[in-house]
Amino acid sequence: MQKDSEVRRGEWEARLADIKYMIHLFRKNPLVMTGTIISLFFIIVALLANFIVDPRLATTEGYTGGSYPFERKYMWSANHPIVWGPDIALHDGPEFFYLGTDGWGRDLLSMIILALPVDLYNAFIIVVVAALLGTTLGALAGYAGGIFDEAVLRITDVFFAFPGLVLALVFASMFGRSIETLQFAIILVWWPPYVRLMRGQVLSEKEKPYVEALKALGAGHLRVLFRHVMLNAIYPILVQATMDLGGVILTFSALMFLGFSPSKSLPELGNLAADGYNAIFSAPWVILFSGLTMLIISLAFNLVGDGLRDVLDPRLRR
Amino acid sequence: MRSHVISTKNAVKTIDPLVVKNLKVWFPIKSGVIQKTIGHVKAVDGVSFSVKKNETLGVVGESGSGKTTLARAILRLVKPTAGEVRFDGINIPKANRQQMKTLRQKVQIIFQDPYASLDPRQTVSSLLREAMHIHGVVKSKSEATEKSLKLLRKVGLDEEHLYRFPHEFSGGQRQRIAVARALVANAEFLILDEPTSFLDVSVQASVLNLLKDLQKDLNLTYMFITHNLAVVHHMSNRVAVMYLGKIVELADKNTIYRNPKHPYTFQLMAAIPVPNPEAKKKEILLEGDVPSPINIPLGCRFHPRCKYAKEKCRKVEPNLVEKDGHFVACHSEIDFSAEMRTGESADG
Amino acid sequence: MSDKRNAKDTVLEIKNLKVNFHTYRGEVKALNGVDLKLCCKEVLALVGESGCGKSVTVQTLIGLLPENASVLEGEIILDGDNLINKTKEEMRILRTHDLAIVFQDPMTFLNPVLTIGTQLEEVVTMDKDLLVEAIAIEKPKQKLDFTDLIKMDDSATEPKNLKISRRETKRIAKRLCAAILSLVKLPDQERILKQYPFELSGGMRQRAMIAMALARRPSIFIADEITTALDVTIQAQILHLLKELRDKIDASTLMITHDLSVAAETADRIAVMYGGNVVEVASSVVLFRRPFHPYAQMLLKAIPNIENPTSRLEAIPGTVPEMIDPPPGCRFHPRCKYAMDACTKKRPRLKEVEKGHEVACYLY
Repeated sequence: MQKDSEVRRGEWEARLADIKYMIHLFRKNPLVMTGTIISLFFIIVALLANFIVDPRLATTEGYTGGSYPFERKYMWSANHPIVWGPDIALHDGPEFFYLGTDGWGRDLLSMIILALPVDLYNAFIIVVVAALLGTTLGALAGYAGGIFDEAVLRITDVFFAFPGLVLALVFASMFGRSIETLQFAIILVWWPPYVRLMRGQVLSEKEKPYVEALKALGAGHLRVLFRHVMLNAIYPILVQATMDLGGVILTFSALMFLGFSPSKSLPELGNLAADGYNAIFSAPWVILFSGLTMLIISLAFNLVGDGLRDVLDPRLRR
Repeated sequence: MRSHVISTKNAVKTIDPLVVKNLKVWFPIKSGVIQKTIGHVKAVDGVSFSVKKNETLGVVGESGSGKTTLARAILRLVKPTAGEVRFDGINIPKANRQQMKTLRQKVQIIFQDPYASLDPRQTVSSLLREAMHIHGVVKSKSEATEKSLKLLRKVGLDEEHLYRFPHEFSGGQRQRIAVARALVANAEFLILDEPTSFLDVSVQASVLNLLKDLQKDLNLTYMFITHNLAVVHHMSNRVAVMYLGKIVELADKNTIYRNPKHPYTFQLMAAIPVPNPEAKKKEILLEGDVPSPINIPLGCRFHPRCKYAKEKCRKVEPNLVEKDGHFVACHSEIDFSAEMRTGESADG
Repeated sequence: MSDKRNAKDTVLEIKNLKVNFHTYRGEVKALNGVDLKLCCKEVLALVGESGCGKSVTVQTLIGLLPENASVLEGEIILDGDNLINKTKEEMRILRTHDLAIVFQDPMTFLNPVLTIGTQLEEVVTMDKDLLVEAIAIEKPKQKLDFTDLIKMDDSATEPKNLKISRRETKRIAKRLCAAILSLVKLPDQERILKQYPFELSGGMRQRAMIAMALARRPSIFIADEITTALDVTIQAQILHLLKELRDKIDASTLMITHDLSVAAETADRIAVMYGGNVVEVASSVVLFRRPFHPYAQMLLKAIPNIENPTSRLEAIPGTVPEMIDPPPGCRFHPRCKYAMDACTKKRPRLKEVEKGHEVACYLY
């Protein structure tokens, strides 16, 4: 007689072998590997940001406009003075300003590091909520069909037609400028594609013979939908969500750039870029480095998504 | 409960586990903006038969003959348009939830494509456990595992196969897993929907042997759907031949193969390739293709392809008439037995 | 091309062909030294179960192996040339002229948005010689007979540089297409030429594919499971057509099938494959009457037979070997009841045991 623990171990070994095969597929593509390493690097930095950089560096409380004594810091070496904004350094920051300073006189590198958790966290929340909402609705609509399906589709169409920027403006004017408002606005325009994607997946998946076999076995609709159909249909959603992480970071920081930011001094990539935009000729490094960071993050997530698609493609698994 | 089965017109002497009466499955064809029904695909168009206890009823037909739809309608996977399907006296299309629960345990199906009929993301152990859970036959996980092992051994697999995914198995092994899953609860009646058409001959032989053994051991009743006439001959006691949604002939295996009465059956038999190059086969070719089940020919549905078609065949649809247990739906009474026999003697 | 070929002449010879596939789990040794001879104007059936290597053999022959495959050893000799050494472009030209292949599923090889006529015309107009010859033998108000053109193929070796106007090409191509369709017994050719693939039934589509293959006047016609997707009655029609065509077309036919009965109905000779090897070659009558190789014997017993039914079929014990780590020596030995010491050590090569009956087994 087998014990429960043995049952569990057997299951685990089977799944582990499967995962190993996926990792093998993943590793075959160097571009995807690069993307994965970069995104993992950013995620780790974001998680540890508060340990790497003192968050107090971000405060602008002491800034009163040039009354502090002049203290010049350098980029790379003592021969490259690179400071923008007030001719001061607000805090006892790092020894060198590797990427220069921003308009508040803060170390740009530290600010970018502090911005990573803000951007990644918001992107993550937005994508997860939008994907959950969209996939659930899409799965139900695809599985149930009929009037419910029609209704969901039409509602989705309405939201599709909404321009995200206008919606964000409306919300900002209604509820004031806050990160929550911004999240809400982006989620509102971001879930409809997931409905479409999941509905299509479920429509094709529910016609497969194994679903019929389960029904013949007497499995209920909820079991069939949530335990089998959705699990088999979820993989394109994962791919889409991974790719969307990059997209949402761009949208989020773009809206911040446009002035939806609750505070000008918040270390956030869009905010920093907006700051640099004002001095694009005198201090080009600010917008350059914050913009580059955005580019690299979204590119990295797109590459990961691409790799996931290859790995999860069922055609490769037979 | 069972009395009304006996009191029907074609009196059934012993209670047959499965009685199908005038079953029709029509799928509407919708078109246009308002989704108006403009016609029907008459996949199954008035089928009546019964399956006796412990026998294997073979159902033979080409694609489009409605044999798979028939199986799905029996299991209530599609809603029949009309007619009744009685299993142990219960009318399946109208059964309530509780009745359906027991029916789902007793009536099971094995599908054609073993590569698609198992959830690809489930290990054998978890798919068997799920089936047991649905039927409520086991209490603990370890009991389920023990029972799974017993089942796997019964279908010729082993412990080592328990924690594998379907894609790690060959077609024959997957079909064995499907059989094991069908048997988790006390199945009595198995519908085998072309269970070996995706398999190689040597594997097919072992699966067919397994099915025969299980039938003997567990007193199972089979409905064996296939287009392979040699396989159906090997497996069945009685054979029903379907054409365009109707049974055109139903008889004992030996009768139907030696003495077919319907021209379609005869021509179908003649079309089977024989694994014997020396067999002097008559070139009897059935011309043309199966008509679409949307536009079924008037009268006898086989008449456009039938050489023996008479005026009556174009107008009146023949009924399935019984004579000594041999059901035929044909106006002309043609005796093909002589031709079948010359074919046989030529083979030596 | 040589002058009149003898019926006994070998057109195509595959010698000790070994092909490997590189996969995640390791090297898949798909072909383990295939030896095969295709004689002139015969129908040779290559029979085997899935995974035996019959489709890999065909893929190698037509030069369409997937990227992860490599030919380790062996030769494929057609008209004195070794096809293994040919470039992709040379193989493409060969496929358009000498090797014609028809696959199981015609829908994947017919372009769904072009009519049958357009697709067939494309094939016909590629072959300038064919057009010239067609004009030469054409008689007004009389249907073209494609079989005459097939007969001409061998003799017409001198290069022709006749210019034909575009209009003339168009006209003669139309007539040729109709002629080819009537060769494969498709009725009402004018209408079919105007139809799209989806408007035809499975059997008709397969006939159209055969027509397209034969229009090139190939020297080798490969039929890869062409009846597998069809119903029994339609299969019977197609097999009947193949039998009728065999005398009319000037090609040797290599037929790939998993169905021994289909092979029995149509082939002159049958080659049985197992585990990447041809294990037995014989004329179909001899093979069914007295198979030598234990695998062939067991395979024949595994088919349900209507003529002499048995209550139990004899299944072959064990499973098809893993091609990544195949059994050493004869790949069938773990399942063979006659296995000896020698079988586990060295692979038996095909040996002529009787006249025209070759077996790869140490028993003989």
